[in-house]
Amino acid sequence: MTEDEREQQLAEAFAGLVDQRAHHTTHPELREDLAALAEIDRVVDPAALPERLSGHKILLEVGAGGMGRVLLAVDDALGRKVAIKTLAASYAGDVMLRARFMGEARAMARISHPNIARIYSLGPADEPPHFVMEYIEGAPLTRAAVPLTFEQRAELMRKVVLGVQFLHEQGILHRDLKPANILVGTDLEPKLLDFGLALDTGTTERLSRAGEVVGTPEYLSPEQTLAAGKLDVRCDVFSLGTVLYEVLTGALPFRGDDVNELLRRIREEDPALPRRLDPAIPRDLQNICLKALEKDPAMRYASAREMADDLRLFLAHEPVLAEPGAYTRLISTKVSEHLRDLDSWRHDQIVSAEEHHGIRQRYERLLEREDAWILAARRLTLAQVSLYLGAWVLVVAAALLMVFPYPALQGAPAVMVAWAAVVPVAWIGIRTWRRGHYRVAIAYLLAFCLLTPVAALVTFEEARLFTAFTQGNLKLELFHRVGFAKQFTNAQIWWSLLAGLPVCWWLRRLTRAPVFSLMNAFTAALLCLATLLRLGVLDCLDHDPSRFYRDLLPCAALFMAAGFIFERLKMPDDSRYFYPFGVAFTFAALSGLAGYDEPWANRLKAAFPWTRGQVEYLFIFNATMYFLLDRICDRFQSWQVRMVGKSFRFAIPGHVMMPLFILSFNAETPREAHTLEWILPATACLFVFASIPRQMKNFLVSGLVFLAAGVYHVQQDIYPNRAFWPTGLLAGGLVLMIAASNYALIRATLRKLRRR
Amino acid sequence: MDSTTTFTLLEQARAGNQEALSRAFGMYRRRLAVLVHFKLNPRARRFSEVEDVVQETLLRAFRDFDRFSYESPGSFLRWLSAIADHVIIDRIRYQGRARRDGEQVPFRSASNPMGPEPVDSQTPSRLLAQHEAVERLLEQLSALPDDYRQIILMAKMEDLTTAEIAERLGKTREAVALLLHRAVKRFRALREAASA
Repeated sequence: MTEDEREQQLAEAFAGLVDQRAHHTTHPELREDLAALAEIDRVVDPAALPERLSGHKILLEVGAGGMGRVLLAVDDALGRKVAIKTLAASYAGDVMLRARFMGEARAMARISHPNIARIYSLGPADEPPHFVMEYIEGAPLTRAAVPLTFEQRAELMRKVVLGVQFLHEQGILHRDLKPANILVGTDLEPKLLDFGLALDTGTTERLSRAGEVVGTPEYLSPEQTLAAGKLDVRCDVFSLGTVLYEVLTGALPFRGDDVNELLRRIREEDPALPRRLDPAIPRDLQNICLKALEKDPAMRYASAREMADDLRLFLAHEPVLAEPGAYTRLISTKVSEHLRDLDSWRHDQIVSAEEHHGIRQRYERLLEREDAWILAARRLTLAQVSLYLGAWVLVVAAALLMVFPYPALQGAPAVMVAWAAVVPVAWIGIRTWRRGHYRVAIAYLLAFCLLTPVAALVTFEEARLFTAFTQGNLKLELFHRVGFAKQFTNAQIWWSLLAGLPVCWWLRRLTRAPVFSLMNAFTAALLCLATLLRLGVLDCLDHDPSRFYRDLLPCAALFMAAGFIFERLKMPDDSRYFYPFGVAFTFAALSGLAGYDEPWANRLKAAFPWTRGQVEYLFIFNATMYFLLDRICDRFQSWQVRMVGKSFRFAIPGHVMMPLFILSFNAETPREAHTLEWILPATACLFVFASIPRQMKNFLVSGLVFLAAGVYHVQQDIYPNRAFWPTGLLAGGLVLMIAASNYALIRATLRKLRRR
Repeated sequence: MDSTTTFTLLEQARAGNQEALSRAFGMYRRRLAVLVHFKLNPRARRFSEVEDVVQETLLRAFRDFDRFSYESPGSFLRWLSAIADHVIIDRIRYQGRARRDGEQVPFRSASNPMGPEPVDSQTPSRLLAQHEAVERLLEQLSALPDDYRQIILMAKMEDLTTAEIAERLGKTREAVALLLHRAVKRFRALREAASA
């Protein structure tokens, strides 16, 4: 018998069995096939329904799950519809499952909550295992959500989350949250049902078998996919996140071709951003959803309550607190990919060093901004603005309290008022921070950070601490010069600033918010100035201002060094606020020296008599200094130091061309004036072309501006009313433009000529 | 399916017992839902669509129950299936118009005491959505090649014998038997793969 004939014979036998509607056969080769077919009947035909259970008349089957069926029944006496959950006959003999089933009933029976289906009674022992519960007419959550607005969906979810929170408060983990287990009635009240996997946290016994993965796999949390490990309320939070994702997008966050693939995705992959699936989804809802879907339970909402609170904030049009790490992860992976590409482009010389540096910097700034509370500062709301306004008023009031002597507020009361502002602000700030309300906390902590030195200063003043005058001289005291104010000594100012410094430092460690780095640098800068005060700098301002500016130089060096050290210590967020202060001190010191230092000017006069010691030449000398500093900074790898170099570079054109412009007015002889008048446009042209190698746009712009000024000056002074000057310039400009637009051609021609 | 039960129920319904008819509908609605699921254009195959078609089919069946005569086991479902075909064709024909105005048979209520008793508020969509096994079955059937799926639906959902299938498809009974057996073997393989 050939293979074909045999197959035909088997098929005939099989067709015979099907035609007889047989469900069983002893034929060894057809048994399995027939069973598979019979399985279809089992699925689509409701099994015979019992007539009555617990005295209720059974109408029909409304649902079936892994463990049993849900029947619709009528309570004859009350005339109400009820749902009866039964355990499948094949499981009724299993002691373990039976215990789990009745455990579910008992767990539910304890609960009375508007969003959780009620249990009416447990089936008597002489009937098949079942229990009677509230019948909910409605649709599963995801289907009910389709026609709703996002606000209505959020409201639905909030009720669901509160229901779950209530379960948790009763010591029950649901562990099988899914839309099919959440029915929504026509009144838009969701109800949780099916506690098939509910875990009573009060009893240590787990009702599922050891190592068994329970729950509908799509809605499992990462920790549930691992057999080991203790579960807590946050696994239900994750499932709520999955449900919210589906309610928002209509799609599941994690899908896989088979169960193992699915579980791997749940454990390892970030879901697609909901807004990518549907841009209409509010960003805050997306944030809530992603926060609940964090892989690490510690990153999720710590409880269903927190998630419900955030949903409430969304519904109240307040900014939500969720700041999912998914964005940062997404952006940092993308950016590091691009940075790698960029490096290879640089290597292949596709981009120039300048472009490479520029692009790299932009990417890094992007990363930083992500870290630096970009989410927090995303938008201004009434509440947020009021919060910062309040903090500012607090600081201003404290400043008034500090500066002005109020007769009614002297001695101990003044100190108490100052600290009465500081202590609650600090306490509320830290508490809010610990609770995760970061945006609010930052405002409080910022106020705390600013108020601390003020309060310390008031305390020192009232306690008569550090009252010694600088060098024993009242005239060297800052506040002595401000007659109307309280008479703080320089030492008191110095010590109070010093007291503020560790507070900034500690807050920076605690919150990792860069704004406290800025505060750190700011306080340190003030401390430097206070140190100068204590060194008697006020005296120099009277007699020799240049000394003050000379004293600023070490401060500048100090800040540069601090920035450099912090950067070496891998704290780039701290260093980047120290450099700008260093740059500012350098500018102030060098400009001040040029403007006020007489010995400096005398030395110039001695060396170059033709300069006549004019200040403008000193500014040009400063430009050279900046150029050298820029060269030095450029030798460093760090982009922060390069930024410092760039800021020095930025100042150069102004420092060169502005003095040249002024000098031409101050010339003593016409010859000197004419020389300077020609030098200015020439230098301007030089700067225009010098903008090319470093891509300095301000070289170009200031070059063009001073060129125009120089041309005008030449017209006024050297060629008054001579027509050849403007016409010559017109022709020159035109030639230059034509040459530039034919640049390639000219270059080729020149090359050819040179080769000959 | 226990044909005597269906027969008894339908006889009772003919005698005027509306609850018997409701129960008969209840017994078949899941089969009907699966059939409708595959009758519908995949793009139109949303749960709500399946639900509407089944609901409308049952309402028409209720209206026209007088015209039904019991011939053999499965003839009731075949009758329902034929009505479902008409419903689907009508829906396509009237698509885009306010199609069901005045056509609906309203359920019984205080204002309409002569209307049919609603079987329950349960809808086939919920029935499909809540019944995990049915969902799995739909998935597995969808994964089959068209001719395999068609023959399994005919044999199991519509309860046709191989001879009847052969007649409907215009093939020999031998060819149908071979096709059916191959289809079932593939179906079995799918089930085993899914449960593994």
